[in-house]
Amino acid sequence: MKQVAFLISVAVVLSSGCATLAPSQDAAVIRAKEKVAPALVHIRPVKEVFTEGKREEVLVIGSGFIISPDGYVVTNEHVAGSSRVVNCVLYTKEEMEAEVVGVDRYTDIAVLKLKTDRRDFPSVKLGSSSSLRAGETVLALGSPHGLARSVSKGIVSVPDRYLSTPDFMDINYNNWIQTDAAINPGNSGGPLVNLRGEVVGINARRLGGAENVGFAIPIDVAKEVIQSILKNGRMIRGWIGLSFQELSRKTGDVKQEGVVVADVEPLSPAAEVGIRPGDILLSVNGKPTTARFIEDLPVINKLIADLPIDQPATLHLLRGDQALDVEVKPEERSDVVGKEVEFPEWGFTATELTPELARRAQISSRQGVLVSGIQVGGLAAAAELGRGDIILKVDDAEVTDLETFSKLYRERVDSKKRLVLLDIRRGALMRYILIKQETESTNGQEP
Amino acid sequence: MTLPHTFRRSRTINAHRWALLGIVFCASWLVGSANAQEPFSPAFIQTQYQRYAPAMAVVFYSLEITNPATGEVARRDGRAPGLLVSESGLVITHGHMQVENMEPFNIRVQVGREGNEKEYPAKLLKKPDDINLCFVQIQASEGEKFPHAVFQPGATLELGEPVLILTVLGETLDYTPSVMIRRVGAILDKPRTTYCLDEPLGLGAVAGPAINRKGQLVGVVGFDLSPQEGGELYVRSGHPLVYQSDLFRAYIDNPPSESQPRDARQAAWLGIINQPLTDDLAEYWGLPKNGGIVVSSIVPGSPASQSGLQRGDVIVEFNGIPIKALQNREMLAFTKLVRETGPGKTVPITVLRKGQPVHLEITLGERPKTARDAEEYEDTIFGLTVREITTDLRMRVNLSEDVQGVIVSRVRNGSAAQIAGMRPGVIIMSVGGLPVKNLTEYEDAVTRIARQKPPEVSVFCRVGARTGFFRIRPRWEADSMETERQ
Repeated sequence: MKQVAFLISVAVVLSSGCATLAPSQDAAVIRAKEKVAPALVHIRPVKEVFTEGKREEVLVIGSGFIISPDGYVVTNEHVAGSSRVVNCVLYTKEEMEAEVVGVDRYTDIAVLKLKTDRRDFPSVKLGSSSSLRAGETVLALGSPHGLARSVSKGIVSVPDRYLSTPDFMDINYNNWIQTDAAINPGNSGGPLVNLRGEVVGINARRLGGAENVGFAIPIDVAKEVIQSILKNGRMIRGWIGLSFQELSRKTGDVKQEGVVVADVEPLSPAAEVGIRPGDILLSVNGKPTTARFIEDLPVINKLIADLPIDQPATLHLLRGDQALDVEVKPEERSDVVGKEVEFPEWGFTATELTPELARRAQISSRQGVLVSGIQVGGLAAAAELGRGDIILKVDDAEVTDLETFSKLYRERVDSKKRLVLLDIRRGALMRYILIKQETESTNGQEP
Repeated sequence: MTLPHTFRRSRTINAHRWALLGIVFCASWLVGSANAQEPFSPAFIQTQYQRYAPAMAVVFYSLEITNPATGEVARRDGRAPGLLVSESGLVITHGHMQVENMEPFNIRVQVGREGNEKEYPAKLLKKPDDINLCFVQIQASEGEKFPHAVFQPGATLELGEPVLILTVLGETLDYTPSVMIRRVGAILDKPRTTYCLDEPLGLGAVAGPAINRKGQLVGVVGFDLSPQEGGELYVRSGHPLVYQSDLFRAYIDNPPSESQPRDARQAAWLGIINQPLTDDLAEYWGLPKNGGIVVSSIVPGSPASQSGLQRGDVIVEFNGIPIKALQNREMLAFTKLVRETGPGKTVPITVLRKGQPVHLEITLGERPKTARDAEEYEDTIFGLTVREITTDLRMRVNLSEDVQGVIVSRVRNGSAAQIAGMRPGVIIMSVGGLPVKNLTEYEDAVTRIARQKPPEVSVFCRVGARTGFFRIRPRWEADSMETERQ
């Protein structure tokens, strides 16, 4: 009998020993989750997508979180961008519509506003991502595969992961928080939360084919973008036309300071003052710019982006052994992609030629519109217009931008002119494309 | 190797042969009409077999295949049927032996059969750029003579005509020559005569002799159209063709060297990008609906750019020949016409400009080297191969004239270049601070580096629309590991 009592007491001690460890972890997780969860939003935007020469609307599912009592919501640009209608389901399962206040493609952030005058929404506390350490417990909240109100737990795997873009195309303004908290499709835009219940990141990416390799935008980066969107409707960034590479790509000399100028865009402010690839940028307005490793690059990009538009900045450079000081006037960086329009009568879509797209197409002019898709069976397809073609002229009229083209297009569709000649650029070559507008009697039958 | 001179002798023994054939024909006629549908009699087939089978060979080779995306190199063995076409051992084989990113080496040719097989080392000659065939030269001892097939000049095929084809069977069947019969299913006359066969053929039939009803050797079996024939329009159609011997006879009479493809004929160049004047375009511009060549682009620095030819001009006459292109294939015929007019020649051209005829004189230039003929330099220090930037490559990747350099075509696995992140397609513009505008300057730059042996070299490059640096750390202790290749 004594023995039995002892055993029980041991069991009690053991279990209570466990209880003092596990429940405290659990309690912390639960507390943290409960601080954030009421502000969680299940987001279902109807996005405008242009695919195969057609404009379509698709319903997507993502996550978001409320940041203010009056109902501002943060999510990813890739979730809510290019959508006119955004359906939201709050944590209370209450449904509500939201409008897009502004987006930033470079950091993948969107800010929405719930369409209501209510000022009693629960909102999250934005923490700080700068003090995050690898190993720290974090929670990911959101709607994996559409399953709303889900929580997953993991740790910070790497607090400052550099996600590379194709060669020399780096326009990264931030590193990423890598976590092993499960992040699935649908988690996008949801909060990454520390055990104090503060949002430290916005879940946005995962590595396909891997297990538990997810990435979140650090909240310190997001805070600034959110503020700018709330104030200006967009994130304003300075641009001088330089791309950088870390010093280790050019030299192993650890005493070398600065960052390597890899590319100077033609016609950019930097090109105008004669900065060349291979120059070493030592400082901007007296602030040192040393990037030895690739993870150091976003800081430099951000430093340039933070330069006030149209106000001269002093760049201190090294060319060989020679020191140079130059003044550049930053311009505002344009969006990567421009407005896209469908031209249904001819069966194709086109976008405006932003400086970024013009650069990628390797053309010096920004005139014309870029064909982004061709519909099978359409008039454009029959005329062998191709994706990637740049339309420069319609009959004898120059196409300066998307608006001009839309106008010229509309005139010709309305007048039912039988033959319309497009002058196009295809890579390095020019070509004539003849659109044959069908008359009523020969109109093809839709299946 | 015995020398059955049967092909050469055939003309001298005509009387004899005709008599023999007469008997054979009578015999088959007597057998009855059951064989009336038979295109060729067994006796005819046997004669042709005896005549051409000794000229059938097998080409063995190894291939070094570069993955253009990763620069990784893999090797595999290949073999192809071949046809001996000269006494000294020139062999025609299929054009796939030499394509982009595949480097054949260790080439051997097996001749003879049934225990008399003999294998010879051989060299691959530069692939002609106007026909999808390769030429291989056997390296035999002085005076050694080979049985070979002789093509009948002017021999043709008709639509629906049966064609006797010799192929080589597979390895397990000891590469025995075998007979197949097909019919001509279609004849393309532009840009040149090409016979399409009615039914599929295996790859073992490529370069196999094609014989017509008269017992004439018309040409060889081929598969793909080369870009000059419209290959870009019908890439890998997989449709078996017969290439008439006129198309490649010049290469037999005057074989290409290992590096020079066009010893036989110099190609002329105008330097325009054209499209056909369709009836709709003619209607739009108010021109007669007679076809023509619309000049849609002019290559900078080309003969066309110096001749007063303008974008939008419609070429209706070239060197006295009316041009009536309405389709893509006819445009290729125009390109062929220009090529064969000869470089340096001044020719009259009539164009329609805003509806009015304008007469121009144009001095044709020499066709610039294409990417396929581009010179390469294998750099064993960084472990990569670079290639000169040709005009066609410039057009293809939209590279302006002010970008000067060399383009990486291969990166050796595990090399210093691969570790640095270099890959095919990267354009190198300077090495260790020295500008590199061409292959010679690249070679000079790496030779200098090899003398100085610096621990690291900064290479300035262009990828797509952007520039940047690669830092290469050559492994000096591991150099001169180059393997011998043939």
